[in-house]
Amino acid sequence: MIEVHGVSKRFVQGRGKKARQVQAVTEANFSAADGVITGLLGPNGAGKTTLVRMIAGLIPPDRGRIEVGGMDVAAQPVAARTCMGVLSDARGLYPRLTAEENIVYYGKLHGMSAHDARVRAGELARLLEMEELLGRRTEGFSQGERMKTALARILLHDPSNIILDEPTNGLDVVATRGLRGLLRKLRTEGKCILLSTHIMQEVERLCDTVLVMSRGSIVARGTVPQLLAQTASADFEDAFVDLAFPPNQEVTSTAHGIKP
Amino acid sequence: MNAAIQVFRKEIIDALRDRKTLLIIALSSLLSVPAMLLVFSKVISDYETRDEQRVILVSGIEAAPQLRNSLERQTYTLREAPADYAQQLREGRLSNPVLAIPADFSTKLAQGEAPVVEIVFDHNNRDARLGVGKLHKLVDGYVSEQAFLLQALRGVAPAGLQTVIVDERDLASIKTGGDFQFTAMLPFLIIIAALSGSIAAAIDTTAGERERGSLESLLMNPVARASLVLGKWGAVACTGMLPVIGSVISCLAARWLIQNETLQSLFQFGILEGILFLFLLVPFAAELAALLMALAVRCKTLKEAQASCSVVIIALSLMPIATVFSPTGDPKWTLWVPGLGQQTLMNHVLKGESLTTVDVLIPVLVSLTLTAVCLIYVARYLKEVAACVLRAAFDGGEADDGVAVYAPEALGVERGFEFFQGAADQPLLVGRHHQGVFVGGLEKIHAVHRHHDDAAVRRGLYSL
Repeated sequence: MIEVHGVSKRFVQGRGKKARQVQAVTEANFSAADGVITGLLGPNGAGKTTLVRMIAGLIPPDRGRIEVGGMDVAAQPVAARTCMGVLSDARGLYPRLTAEENIVYYGKLHGMSAHDARVRAGELARLLEMEELLGRRTEGFSQGERMKTALARILLHDPSNIILDEPTNGLDVVATRGLRGLLRKLRTEGKCILLSTHIMQEVERLCDTVLVMSRGSIVARGTVPQLLAQTASADFEDAFVDLAFPPNQEVTSTAHGIKP
Repeated sequence: MNAAIQVFRKEIIDALRDRKTLLIIALSSLLSVPAMLLVFSKVISDYETRDEQRVILVSGIEAAPQLRNSLERQTYTLREAPADYAQQLREGRLSNPVLAIPADFSTKLAQGEAPVVEIVFDHNNRDARLGVGKLHKLVDGYVSEQAFLLQALRGVAPAGLQTVIVDERDLASIKTGGDFQFTAMLPFLIIIAALSGSIAAAIDTTAGERERGSLESLLMNPVARASLVLGKWGAVACTGMLPVIGSVISCLAARWLIQNETLQSLFQFGILEGILFLFLLVPFAAELAALLMALAVRCKTLKEAQASCSVVIIALSLMPIATVFSPTGDPKWTLWVPGLGQQTLMNHVLKGESLTTVDVLIPVLVSLTLTAVCLIYVARYLKEVAACVLRAAFDGGEADDGVAVYAPEALGVERGFEFFQGAADQPLLVGRHHQGVFVGGLEKIHAVHRHHDDAAVRRGLYSL
């Protein structure tokens, strides 16, 4: 269970005279339930990653409160992280360690014994079909192999809240399908899954409920059919553009004579 | 604490797998001291051999049989210098100065005039220059011998000729060993070894983690920042201590390798000196590790971190110069300067001078304090790192997956222009362009920007 109450975050960009404030997230309110895949959909720079990092306790919000598994992230960051698995957009593997060592390292940081971590890594490797990767150093891994390793790493301690930032970036169709299957399986196990992405197909196929983010705010929420109904569109892509870029801003680009 | 140990273990494994760096460190630390000693032992042996040979190069000695007799009585061998000795001296092919006697030496002497004897050498020829003093003394000896005999013939008492007796008394302790300042090089080499050991690991565990993007994931683990920093620092300090210990061991071993007796007496390095060195250097390696980490953690890339850390290399290399111009040797304040204090004390140890407990404790305390300050800084800075990464992303130019998607300036569009990617099989781009919004595939976007910088557009679009 992830609960976000009135969270805002602002950054100062640049220094001195050039400094200007960027409102990354404004008054975000939502809750992601257990046994549900919640999609966080928005264009680049919408504030998804900022929001994810605040949930993970990496950066404190300026205002508002975030609870993960009933624990206040700001007050008990270390305890809250024990029930979280966060796949960051930068997969961040150690190239000189093998995939197994990368995975087991995180398990140990979560307080698991080396033996338990290795056994669990083996189980996850079977699930993710990456058993032959375990003994290899991660240097030169493909995007898909890196993602699998990073995913196994964050699932090792069996977190009840799973947060994935752009998990399908750089994955081929087979790997993407595999990932979808895994996420559905985790959903049936009652995990709370928050999926941040800008890819509409993912949201359409996976998410039970969708939060549309644009310019730091959550501008719409609901299931995919609800969002389609809200914008009276048949295509989810059209619905998304309508929601993320409201019509009053949608002026025809005449600069180069191209109409949308 | 368990987490700190896990981090430490991982970082050590990581550092040990960086074989190339490790090999360079090991070779440089283990071989530099013996190599240096070998060179010095060769130089000293050469010098001594020449001294033992007791050879004087002369030109036109047949004109001065008295002088020849005087020199040969002192068991010197006189050898005729080659005809082109001036040329050879200039080119450094002759390693002894030449005593040139004028043809009218005996005649002038008989007439009571002072003949001019030349000692020929080239100032740039170091070997020849070193022999000048000795030759001068020999000729002077002959001159005063002659004067003494002349006065004696006239019935003057010898004591009247020597109104003042000059004697040299060298106050340096036994180990200092005259002009050979070679031992001063040793502490410097060890300090540089400590630096070379920790620099790679310090950069890799901080800026390297940031560049790879692994720091962000690491920070999402339920581990206190203090544990992370302690684990990382422990590993970096250990890699810095390895070459230090290696150097000290190689110093001990080098004692047995030195053949030259003079050098052996100059280089008094035993177990006790080794322990004293380690007592000074272990805290220093710890301090260096923390300092380098504090510098590198501020940097986003390895390249940037290397530039930052090179400041430390330059500072440590230039430090010995600070005391060169001091007339009274090493002033007390040097003990308070990290790096310089250790060098000063190591030099004292090598010269066989006694150290007080306070002298030794000052640099150690400075090291420990600076270590603590730097580690606190690193831990604090880690908190900001996540925000820094985010700010960089907001500066535009990078998509969420880290691929450069567009260069707004190059495309002639304002910041705020944004588009993104559909599924791999169906590329889709949505963008806000100036005030407008457009939706379309690659071809359409390409059409929009056709008359702009094509290369930039292609770079942006093809990366999708």
